Parts: sequence; C-alpha cells; structure tokens
Amino acid sequence: MGEGFTPRIVGFLCNWCSYAGADLAGAAKLEIPASLSVIRVMCSGRVDPVLVATALLHGADGVLVAGCHPGDCHYREGNYYARRRFALLKKTLETLGLDTKRVMLAWVSASEGQRFGEVANQFAGQIMELGPNPMKTKISL
Amino acid sequence: MTDKKENAPVLVIGAGIAGIEASLLLANSGRKVYLIEKTSYIGGNVIKFEEVFPNMDCATCMIAPKQQELLADENIELLTLSEVEAVSGAAGDFSVKIKQKARYIDLVNCIGCSACFDPCPVEVDNEFEEGLTKRKAVYIPCAGALPNVPVIDTENCLRFKGKECQACQEACAFEAVDYTQQDKELELKVGAIVVATGFSMFDIGKTSRYGYKKLGGVYSAMEIERICASNGPTQGQITLRSGEAPKSVAIINCVGREEKGYCSAVCCMAALKLCHFLKNKLPGLKITQFYSDLCIPGKAYQHFYQEVKEGGIDFIRAEVTGVSESGKELAVKYKTDQGKENTLAADMVILNPALEPGADSAKLAGMLNIPQSREGFFSEKEPDLTPVATAQDGIFIAGCAQGPKDIAETIAEAEATAGRILSRSG
Amino acid sequence: MAKRLGVYVCECGTNIADKVDIDKVLAAVRTLKDVVVADRYKLLCSGDGQAYLKQSIIEHGLTHLVVAACSPKQHETTFMNVCEQAGLNPYLFQLVNIREQCAWVTPDGEAATDKAIRQIRAAISRVHYHTALEKKGMECNPDVLVIGGGIAGIKASQILAAPNRKVYLVEKTASLGGKTRRFSKLFVNMESGPGLIEGEIERLRQNKSIEVLTQSEAEQILGFLGNFEVKVVSSAEDKEAKEQDFNVGAVVLATGFDLSDTKGLPQYGYSTLDNVYTSLDFEEMCLADGPTQGKIRLKNGQPPRSVAIIHCVGRAEKGYCSKVCCLYSFKFDRMLQSQLPGVKIAHLYSDLCIPGKANQKFYEDTRESGVEFVRSAATEITGGDKGLTVKYETESGTKDDLAADMVILLPAMEPSPDTGRFAEMLNIPQDDKGFLAEEHQLLSPVASAVEGVFVIGCARGPQSIAESIVQAEAAAGKILSALVPGRELELEVKTSQILESFCTGCKTCIEVCPYGAITFDEDRHISVVNEVLCHGCGNCAAACPSGAARLKHFTFPQIYQELKEVLR
Repeated sequence: MGEGFTPRIVGFLCNWCSYAGADLAGAAKLEIPASLSVIRVMCSGRVDPVLVATALLHGADGVLVAGCHPGDCHYREGNYYARRRFALLKKTLETLGLDTKRVMLAWVSASEGQRFGEVANQFAGQIMELGPNPMKTKISL
Repeated sequence: MTDKKENAPVLVIGAGIAGIEASLLLANSGRKVYLIEKTSYIGGNVIKFEEVFPNMDCATCMIAPKQQELLADENIELLTLSEVEAVSGAAGDFSVKIKQKARYIDLVNCIGCSACFDPCPVEVDNEFEEGLTKRKAVYIPCAGALPNVPVIDTENCLRFKGKECQACQEACAFEAVDYTQQDKELELKVGAIVVATGFSMFDIGKTSRYGYKKLGGVYSAMEIERICASNGPTQGQITLRSGEAPKSVAIINCVGREEKGYCSAVCCMAALKLCHFLKNKLPGLKITQFYSDLCIPGKAYQHFYQEVKEGGIDFIRAEVTGVSESGKELAVKYKTDQGKENTLAADMVILNPALEPGADSAKLAGMLNIPQSREGFFSEKEPDLTPVATAQDGIFIAGCAQGPKDIAETIAEAEATAGRILSRSG
Repeated sequence: MAKRLGVYVCECGTNIADKVDIDKVLAAVRTLKDVVVADRYKLLCSGDGQAYLKQSIIEHGLTHLVVAACSPKQHETTFMNVCEQAGLNPYLFQLVNIREQCAWVTPDGEAATDKAIRQIRAAISRVHYHTALEKKGMECNPDVLVIGGGIAGIKASQILAAPNRKVYLVEKTASLGGKTRRFSKLFVNMESGPGLIEGEIERLRQNKSIEVLTQSEAEQILGFLGNFEVKVVSSAEDKEAKEQDFNVGAVVLATGFDLSDTKGLPQYGYSTLDNVYTSLDFEEMCLADGPTQGKIRLKNGQPPRSVAIIHCVGRAEKGYCSKVCCLYSFKFDRMLQSQLPGVKIAHLYSDLCIPGKANQKFYEDTRESGVEFVRSAATEITGGDKGLTVKYETESGTKDDLAADMVILLPAMEPSPDTGRFAEMLNIPQDDKGFLAEEHQLLSPVASAVEGVFVIGCARGPQSIAESIVQAEAAAGKILSALVPGRELELEVKTSQILESFCTGCKTCIEVCPYGAITFDEDRHISVVNEVLCHGCGNCAAACPSGAARLKHFTFPQIYQELKEVLR
C-alpha cells in the first residue's frame, strides 16, 4: 500500500539539540527527505500532544518530535515531559484508530548530524510503507 | 586601585572550556576579553570526547551553547592561530605581544560551505583524529568545529611550498580564500592574564612495553575517543583496523605514571566511561581493566564505578609488564599485587596515558615569569590559599594547565579566576 | 495599522541559488496577503546585504519581515539587529532555513524549490501572528548573603565585598574558621591551619564592606536572583535574640561537613574502646589549645608507640570516597613522627586516592619514612591489657591482625546537619547522600538549581581546602559577573505568561516548571509566572489543559500557522 504518494511529514525539532543536529546533517550534505518539514520549538517539552494530534488531523502522514537525549535537555527536564506526553499520546492515538507508527519521538544531539539523517530517512521510509493518513479522507477541517 | 585596573581588558590564553568559561564570565560583567587560541578551533580537548563521565553527557552538545555564546559575544575578541610572543608590565598594565598566523581564509566572507576541501590535491594525517584519518591542506579539524572556517596548512599546501595551485580559491564562491593574508603582530594592553592552556597526553612512544604504534590492536585512549565519536573517523563504529568489531578489550591504566611521578586524577573515571560506552555499543564485548589504585573520589564517582562493574567488567589490580602479539590476538602480560604473573588475551588494548601540561608550557611560563612545578604544570602562588593565583600579581591559572583534573574542577577554577579578576577587594 | 510584509530570499552565493529556483519562490509568495515586497539578494549576512535589508525595511515601511536563508542558529541575531536598526521590532521577524535544511539536503532542485516555498509560506503565515516583544530589565541588589563562616564562606566574602557591594557573613557558632581552624597542620605543605585561618579572619574583619554576624542563623530567605529578603536571628548567650532584616541579590551556602557517625559501626570500637579516635579527635589532640595541649597521648597519659590508621570507615555504607582522607592521613604520619620519633605506623587501606600533581610525592615521601601500608579491610578492633588488636582481611582473602596502642579511624565526610535545613528553605535539591546538588555537575559546579543561590565547600561534596577556596572564588566570579551594581539584570524575552481568565488553578504548570518560575496566587486562585526566573522552555504551555499558559513567540496559534502551511 502507499506506492507513489508524496507524504507530508512534520518534524518538531528542539532548538538546542535536534535542530542543531539537523543543521549538521545539512553541513555534511546528507540527503534528508523533502517530505519532512521542520518546525522549530525551543524545547521538545513545548510539543503539546494537541499539536501532534492537530497535525495528524490536518493530514500529516507522519509526525516526528525530536529532542535532546535524556539528561542533556537544555532546560533540564523538558524532554522527560516530552517522553511522558508522547507515551500518553500513543495510547490516545490507538483509541482514535490511528497507527502509532505515524508518530515518532527521537533523541538527536547537536553533534549527531549522521543520526538525524538516519532517523529522518528511516521515519520517512516507514511512513511511505504505511501509506497516506486515513484521516485525510475521513475528516475535513 | 586605579580605574585602569578595574576596567582593563583581560587576556585569556587558551580557548578550551576553561578559557571559554572564564571569558564568558568576564565578558558578561562588561569587561573586554581577548581570547587567544593556538589552534584554528575552540573547544580544546573536550570536543574530542563523545561522552563524558559520570553521566555520559554528550560532550559537544554540552558545550555547544557556551561556544555559540562565546562566538556571539561582542565583548570577546577571539584570536585563533595566535600565540603569546612577549609579556611586559605588571598587574593592571600588561603589554602582551601576540603573533597571529594567517588563516588564509577570510573569517567574514567564508560561510562554511566546505566547497574548498574536495578540490585540494593534498592529503595528510589529521592530527585532531589522532592520524586515524586524513585531511586536506585546507581543512577544518572535524565536523562541527568552530569557528566553521577552514585554515590552510602552509606546511603541506602545494602553493605555499612554491608549486602552482589555486584549487581551493577556484572552488570558493564567496571570495573567502585569500593567499595574500599575512601573519600579524599585535600588541595588547591588558590588566590581567588567565592561563588556560590545558593538557596534552603523555607520549606513549616513550615506553616500549605496550607495543604502541607497533601492534595493530593497541590504541591510545584518545584514539579510541575519536573512534567512539559520532563525528569521528569511523562515525562512532567501534572497529579494529581490520574493520571488524573487537570481541575482547583490555584497558591499561597508569601508562606513564611511573615516568611522570603523579596520578592524573581522571583516567580511572575515563576508563570507566569507555567501559560503559563500549559495553553499550557492543553488548557481548568482554572488557578487562588493569589498574593500580582505583581513583574515584567525590560524591558521584563511586556510584558510576559500581554501575559499570555490575555491567560485567573485570577489574584486575596488576602492573602490565608487556603486550605482545599472540596469533591473531594480543597477549597482555601482567603481575598482580601479590606477585603472581599471568597473561590475558584480547583483540584490542587501550592504553590510558598520563596527562601532561600543554606542549608550550615552559616557553609560556618563561614569558610570563611564573614558576612551574617539578612536573611542568604552572604553579599556584600558595597552594592552600590561592589555588588559581600565581606568583605574578594579575596572572592566573585555571584547568589542566595548573594540574590534571576533571571538567567540573576545571570550570570551577575558570570561574574562580574571573572572581579574582572582577573582585574589587585587595 | 495595515500589515506590510517583506520577504527576502538569500542566494547565499551559489549555496541556495544553485539548488532552489529563487524566482519561482518569489513568484509564489509575492502575491500572498499583505506581502508588499519579495526580492532576492546575493548574500544578506554580508555588510552590504545587511545595509540593503535595513534600507528596504525603511523604504517599504515594512511592519513584518521574513528572510529565507541559512539556519537561525547562524544569523537570526544578525537579522534581528538589522530590524532593530531599521526601527522594526526584532520579534516581528522570522528566519526560514532553506540552506542547511533544504538546499544542502535535497538533491532534486524541483523538490528543494517546493520545500522552500512551503517553509517560506509557513513563515509568512506565522509572522502575521507575531507580536512585538520588548527587552526587559530588572533592578537588582548586588549585596550577598554568605551562610557559613568556615574557609569557604570567608574566602567568598573577601572576594565579593566591595564599597558598592555589601556582604553579610552569617555564622552559627561564636567564632569564624570552621573546621580549618581545628587542623594544626594542613597537607601537603604542613602549614598551620590556625595560622592560615586567623590571617584570613583578620583580613576579613578589617573589611568594612563585610558585616559578620556570629551566633546567628538565617531563619528565612524569600525571593529570587537580584532580590532576596533575608531574616537573620542572632542569639548571644547573655543577650536577647536580635532579629535583622535585609535584602541581598545572591546567597552563598557554605555550611561545611561533619564526619559520619562511627558509633553506628560497632566493629571499630569507637566510644567503647579506649584509644580509638576519629580523625577529628586526633586533630583536636594535636592542637595547642586541645585537651592534651597538643601532646599525642593515650588515655593513660603515655605516648603511643604504634598507631594503626584505618581508611574508608563508613565508605561502604555511604557509597562514596571522601577524597581527602588518604592525604590527611599522610599528614598525620608526619605529625606523629615529628612528635614521636620512632613511632610505628601502619595504614590499612583499599585504594590510595592521591590524584594531582603534588600528592603522589607526598605519599612516596611518607612511605619512604618507614610507614607501613597494608592493602586490607579492617574487620574488627578489640581491646585488651596489651592495647588494641586490629583484625583485617586482605584482597586475596588472607586474614591477619596487628597490634597498636592507638587507632585512628578515617570516617566518611558528610554534609553538616544544617545543610538539609537550608536546602529546604531555599528549595535546593540534595543528592541521595544529603550533599547540596549543583546546577550541572560538570558545567555549573557552584551554582544551584535555584538561580542566585550558590553552593560551595564540603556542603556540596567532600573536598580539600584548596578546592573549597576555588569554589568560593568561583561563586564570587559568577555573582560578580551577573550582579553588577547599577546595572539591570537582562531577562529572557520569550517567556511564558498565564492568562488569568483562562487559568483554572490546577497547578499543573507549577509541577512541570524546571525552574520553579511559577507560583500560585491564593487570592486570585491562579498561577503566575515570575518572568525573572522563566527560561522560556514552554513546558507549562504544553501542559496547561486550558490554554492559559502561553509561551511568547511560540504560542499555539503561531505554531499552528506554520503547521497548517507545511501540510497544505
């Protein structure tokens, strides 16, 4: 399923770690899927589950949230809360009948350009396999 | 105290974490800071580590905000490729001659796109990567090094050796390559000086018993740090020179301790960190640590040791008498405290050497007229009362330039030098 | 006022222009609502580029600016400064990353152009919802409260005090000097502890900017960086308790250490056997004003002929190495040998902890003087007519014992009992051993999680005098750098704020704030953000169930606009 469709993937990247890691991937001229659109936030802890749900309801085929590795959060604990919220979000998505593989929480540090590339490409590949977000046809906002 | 002393600029020598921290505190208070750095990049030794003990923090991520802050701070004038040539004057009114080598790349025009690297025909060993990989004659030492502007290594660049070549200039779309740049002589007037020149590692080549540089499976700790690094020569893949992952590792501590005559304070913890890291990457890896006395002082370190030990690391209290080849593996010969001799087989041997003062310490000490200890580190004026002050009023020392120590103590000393310089008490 | 948006795309030389079809991008955005100008430029971050941008803002009367170029981590500040210079609020600006995260990572030109258009449209939608934000400053009090009159507190006070910065040094006991005053000698140079400390106390007393309050305790400290309200109660023996209230900008905690309780380890015979002493007992004995006028004596008045020194007492129970004991035990060797030539000394230890340039030599010299070192764990001390017997076990399992007239135990160092009280008062975390926690173990060793409160000396971990002094000076460095008399504290602009009308008083935000920046107003039954402490992480905004907590510049509507556009 899902051949030949152009996915729309949103990535919420935290300013201090994952966004910098994505920049480093750029400096290294790695290939990052064009389907990934990045939205910068100061901390992965800013990412409200409602934002992720909104993204999915607006037709996002995949949502990636990336923050600092646990223990490295620039704001001390933000990413721990992101982790907890994400766990709850996944449960909620299940009840909505959405495949939880459409959302991903990843830890990428400022020096992990390579890893960002891996995460982005792996996730994009995953979304391609899952096909278009069924919400796109079921709900219009 | 004259006005001059209170508001005079400060010279910080060395842009490792000690120099960076001292500069930031001083600049934040309103002082002008000249931060000079011998190499082309900031961050010193810390940026070579993938993770640091005891919390396995990502070293580069940890100091990235400080580096960014430093580069953006208007009060801090960073002079890379610079060294002190002469010092005169006294506290409040030093006159320092600096020689700044030309980078041959314009710091303003260059946007760090790295287009100049590929076309360069010269390839040499990359010192930052402990020779494990090559670099060009126009280069930055590693991905993410700051400032993100390359430098031309005139010793190896064809053009500077008299040959025809302008490959890098032709590749640059920003007119950033400038062969006409000249070395500069600067004279700075400062009120205080902070020496934060860091450490270098004991030259393991001085001992022959470990087979360093002779046996393929023997590595120095710094080489392994680069192998572990995600921006290093193997992108963090732990492999032997054959490309295969090791199955057993022996870590040998206190290399050079006898020669140097002191304990380098951080190696036991650094070795534990490596154990933790390697075990994580290669869960089946067998690791054995050879040590004499376990140095894990303070509230946080013993817990880390216990955690690592429970992860299945073997600890053998013994002196390693030799490392030799034994078929495809290495044979580590050792003698325990009780005098028992034995041999351990391992694919990979990691040598953990002593920390020494930076290479040019003696020269700098002479110029600044501050004494060095017997071991070559810069001496405190009164070890029990003024740990960061020197015999020269107005000249301070911080970090491993003063003696081997961990990051926390280094930062504390850097902040202490700022405290003393900013202090308005006698 | 009508919005006038300007959109500028940087070519970045060839870095962006080579991959992204900039003209196509401009065509796509030029017609969007409120966009009055859309143009391209070779290198916007250059001197010329910045001048061009400034000129354009003024010429076109722009109310909002979008620049598509490199990463905000490269030049966000640069372009914000240009806005300011052009009279445009720097927060009515958005920088779009079409280099590192677009041109450089998208091999196909068409795909790169599409992505660029998408991200720029997102920025344009977002910037419509930006509000002007102003830099904020706060007046601060440069004075400092130092709690604890030991060597750390004394040094901190000395470095901090100045005619325009008063230091209040509060000490619980009647005299300054703490533990250092009770060490007759200090390692490694064997200088006099009382001599050293008395010199420092004299200097301190002469400093008119330091108010010393002995027999005093801080009863209440409320507030935050730049503005703490302090209540100190002084109670001299024959006088009535006196209360003093004052304001300071920072607090330094230097409450020191005590030795851990050795009575709770009955195998060592402490307090049940004669002539078993802790290191502090031994120090007292060696002092000229001590119980034996400085003479090292057994209970029976005789000098000991043999001494056993037991390392790591309580280490297994406490779970950490107290760092300085090996070193001061060598100091004890010298003190013993100097007073009692020929005395036999044996150390029972597990690992020698002698890091640093000078300490190995100190150990080696000690060893060469004939002191015995037995790597073993002392298992039991028993007493009898002939003196004490120390049973021990070596690493290889051999059991043995040695006889000694005197035993000196080296117990673990723990934070002094007052440490917990102040930790609670100031809301500073303690680790599981009771030591005060630093803000960041590596990068911020003397600051605490509470801004404006610093932790130095043995209250934050076992360490030497030299290290305590370094930390005292370090805390001073941080305070002198941050609190400059007459200068306002610059505050984070992109802070959170809580809208009263939406707040239900659930306090979820208070729980998640890593900086304790949110407090609860009982009267209005709402949460309130202290903008001095807020770092702008947005956790409260994410956690708030009613949408009352909003992070400036990263509000839900702003992010939603970006989201909507990229998903189009």
